[in-house]
Amino acid sequence: MKISQKIINNLKEGGADFFLSVPCKLLANMITILENDKDIYYSAIPREEEGMGICAGAYLGNKLPCIMMQNTGIGNSVNSIVSLLQLYQMPVVFLISYRGTPGEPVGAQGGMASVTEDILNTLRIPMLHCNTEHDLDKISTFTNHAKVIESPVAVLCNFNLMKDD
Amino acid sequence: MNRFELLNLLKDTIHDELVICNIGLPSQELYKINDRPNYFYMLGSMGLASSIGLGLSLTVDKNVISIDGDGSVLMNMNTLATIGNRAPSNYTLLIVDNGSYGSTGDQKTFTNEGTSLKDVAIGAGCKNVIECSGQETEGNLKKALADKDNSYVIISKIQSGNVPIKPIPLNAVTIRDRFRKALGLVSYL
Repeated sequence: MKISQKIINNLKEGGADFFLSVPCKLLANMITILENDKDIYYSAIPREEEGMGICAGAYLGNKLPCIMMQNTGIGNSVNSIVSLLQLYQMPVVFLISYRGTPGEPVGAQGGMASVTEDILNTLRIPMLHCNTEHDLDKISTFTNHAKVIESPVAVLCNFNLMKDD
Repeated sequence: MNRFELLNLLKDTIHDELVICNIGLPSQELYKINDRPNYFYMLGSMGLASSIGLGLSLTVDKNVISIDGDGSVLMNMNTLATIGNRAPSNYTLLIVDNGSYGSTGDQKTFTNEGTSLKDVAIGAGCKNVIECSGQETEGNLKKALADKDNSYVIISKIQSGNVPIKPIPLNAVTIRDRFRKALGLVSYL
């Protein structure tokens, strides 16, 4: 819970005030925290691509949205990122549980893990890698950075960082 | 009645509302009928006009209308579940159901066959789901906008067909900024 709480605190400190999630067991604690947070809007949603649309609307209404999802969700969302968020220059924070990184027990997660960073690089989305608790301190500045550059940014939280939280 | 005629019929009703309009011909027709800064023309991301409007309605008090199409709703049907469970009372989804993918050459959609978007929306949890003719749409939309306690899904059953039209000459960031200015969020324009 300590890691999850720290991530949420940093996202909020950086300005994020509208949260969506598509579930992942590594995000479970964060979801519990958000469900009980009265300061921000939070909802679970069925699919990531739809979430990009909801985030775009929330941005138009002056929120800084954050969508929490597995890295597989990037694969579900490429056109909505390019043809909506980037086309209209809309800041959104992707908080990504990086499944398929070392420690991952499910072999099938390895495929998307092996292409996730290539996809984000191709889309020119700035990335923040979080491998240790110390890295989490950078999330707040990085969240604000999305607003400054009017672009989506991606925070990648490795499996081993999250698994025992 | 086709889509252009329907949008023309609705122009006074939606004049001052926040409108998120579907990709392609719907946006181009709306632009031609009456361009407004409070209209957000979605230029890419087919399927997401409903979701963008939902996100906006969750963050502002004003009425928000997503003008979507049957083909686009079929592409992003899961969002009907989110709308059914989360849409606030200032949200209206207007599905212009002409049974065809108008922007790509009027290929038929499944609403011509076994699919009822009314039944899908109800099954997804949407309340106040109204299926009506093009002629009945304005009255139902006015009712939805006046109701401060409920969100609505209106499915307007019309004919397919398009009018000759040009792409919208505005770039995306211009659409974004003038829309946010209409919301009072941009001071530099």
